[in-house]
Amino acid sequence: MQERYAYYPGCLASLSQKELDSSTRAIAEKLEIELVEMPSVTCCGAGDIHEAKPDYYLHISARILGQAEQSGCDTILTICNVCTLNLRQANIALKEDAALLNRVNDNLKEVGAATYQGGVDIRHLLWEVSAGEGYERFKSIAVKSLEGLKVAPFYGCQILRPAKILGFENSDRPESLERLIMACGAEPIDYPAKVKCCGFPIVLAREDVALGELVQPLEQAMDAGADVIVTPCPLCHLSLDAWQRKAAAYSGREFGIPILHLAQLLGAAAGIEESELKFKRHVTRLSPSVKAKLQVPSVVGTKV
Amino acid sequence: MAAIENAHFTTLKGAYDQETMEATLKVRRYDPETGKSRFDTFTVTIPVTATVLDALDAIKDTCDGTLSYRKSCRMSVCGSCGMRVDGGAALACKTSMRKFVEAGHTITVSPMGNLPVIKDLVVDMTPFWDKIRAIKPYLDTKDADTPAKEWRINPEDTALIHKESLCILCGCCVSECNSMESDPEFLGPAALAKAYRFVGDARDKDTRERLRDLSGAHGIWDCTRCYFCNQRCPKGVDPRDAIAKLGAESFKEGFTSDAGAKHAKVFVDSTYKGGFLRETELVPKTIGPANAIKDIPFALQLARAGKVPNPLSPHKAKDNDEVKRLWKLLEKEAKGQPRRATATHPDAVQEG
Repeated sequence: MQERYAYYPGCLASLSQKELDSSTRAIAEKLEIELVEMPSVTCCGAGDIHEAKPDYYLHISARILGQAEQSGCDTILTICNVCTLNLRQANIALKEDAALLNRVNDNLKEVGAATYQGGVDIRHLLWEVSAGEGYERFKSIAVKSLEGLKVAPFYGCQILRPAKILGFENSDRPESLERLIMACGAEPIDYPAKVKCCGFPIVLAREDVALGELVQPLEQAMDAGADVIVTPCPLCHLSLDAWQRKAAAYSGREFGIPILHLAQLLGAAAGIEESELKFKRHVTRLSPSVKAKLQVPSVVGTKV
Repeated sequence: MAAIENAHFTTLKGAYDQETMEATLKVRRYDPETGKSRFDTFTVTIPVTATVLDALDAIKDTCDGTLSYRKSCRMSVCGSCGMRVDGGAALACKTSMRKFVEAGHTITVSPMGNLPVIKDLVVDMTPFWDKIRAIKPYLDTKDADTPAKEWRINPEDTALIHKESLCILCGCCVSECNSMESDPEFLGPAALAKAYRFVGDARDKDTRERLRDLSGAHGIWDCTRCYFCNQRCPKGVDPRDAIAKLGAESFKEGFTSDAGAKHAKVFVDSTYKGGFLRETELVPKTIGPANAIKDIPFALQLARAGKVPNPLSPHKAKDNDEVKRLWKLLEKEAKGQPRRATATHPDAVQEG
């Protein structure tokens, strides 16, 4: 774990999933890590720009990596699977091909943007707090035991696969979320779809195909007795949380299972307040029993 | 003939002279006559260098001759022995048993997913081949003069489709495709990787028609980017990357009317306009204003949770003029370039 990270919240945490950003900032403060802002960064392209305009994608990625370098950090902290994969893919492409990096840098120079020298790594919050010193540090701040809370981990795709680009853990049998759930004093629930797709990338363009994917983790997690699902990805979160009622209509089954961002679960165990974890910003609301198990101190009249 | 048989026997005998180990495998069985499935557990003695396929052979030879599976080359070339090992599709002949035995782990062997099971580990590949056929897996040079000798291709042009050319049609990628589970009509990773092998081939002259077909229903925009195909492919084809290349090629050809392409375009335009994604534009521009209106009750659920950003004051990144200038520079650069490397004319490359 680093002392300083170039913080890349990405689009969703900055817009519709602001509760992820505020929870991350709160947990970072508890962990005593500094999040350095990068005010000029763009969207990572979410795989979409990569697919539509691959050369443009490489350039905007290099610009993001260059800004991290200029901020004096050697590591970007991400809180989204899609940002993690897209930035890492671009980083590898740029570092492996000196001619490409030179051309991209010439173009960046020409438009007055920061260039990239190849000295940045991209790490997801999950990786930083689930192993090594970061894990020890998290355990020391996890003062509250979320005993009795059954948590289904949902990894999502782009933090596991392709392993040659991500490679933090076994992509078929990951354990990092389980380790953190246990460190929170909660009980991890196992189910096969935890490593599968939530359908989010195609939920607008191919809603039925996406819902067919989304029902799997929802059904399996509930059948396995989970109280909540936790995910390290705000896109998976949006899919599991906001599209949950559509998945219910699609499958003819009621779900009503709350979805937590990883930073919210960690935050609850670290005693962070509702005003920062902002569970009220979820479409699928926490039930009173889950709220009680999360033991989040709430301040009356807190603004959503 | 006798000499060949003897040679084979000697090799086998040599193999079994090696140090051996005892391995236990749980194997999924399916009997088409009764329609019933079950798991059988077998323990066999195999050489320490044995693969999963060798272990299955040992089961068939010494425990149960009715066990059915496909095999041929035993060296990761023919693509026959795709099956699931502990739930993940792999070539049985490329998967070593030793690490499982040393870990004291009993592996579960089951048939590939997304394809109907015929018997035990044998799946019906018909839907797989139908999709390969559907993408026209052969060169179409249109009316170009057929060279007298072979039609050679430059190493630079070959490099563009090298990875996709490595496909051995084993079906491991299809087995795990999350979109195909949900939409069995999706062309899927193997057929799309094969399609790119021809779209990217400098000698093929059917590019536009191919991309028009591939960018429609059940085509490239069905891919949910789960990356299971890249993870499972035993030959490094990276089918998902091939699908992304097809997306880029279809954009170059102007095939952007599919909802998936429109979705991608919103991301491109958003970075240009302000840096971050414009979430409020994503829905109407992807599915069209009429469908967006139908989705208003859903949008209200999101709005109540504070999940709809104010469309009148979209997020603006600092210094985004840099990005605008970058976009214009790259578009200008792209205009000056040929769509892709061009095939060398057949007459120019014939030897002689």
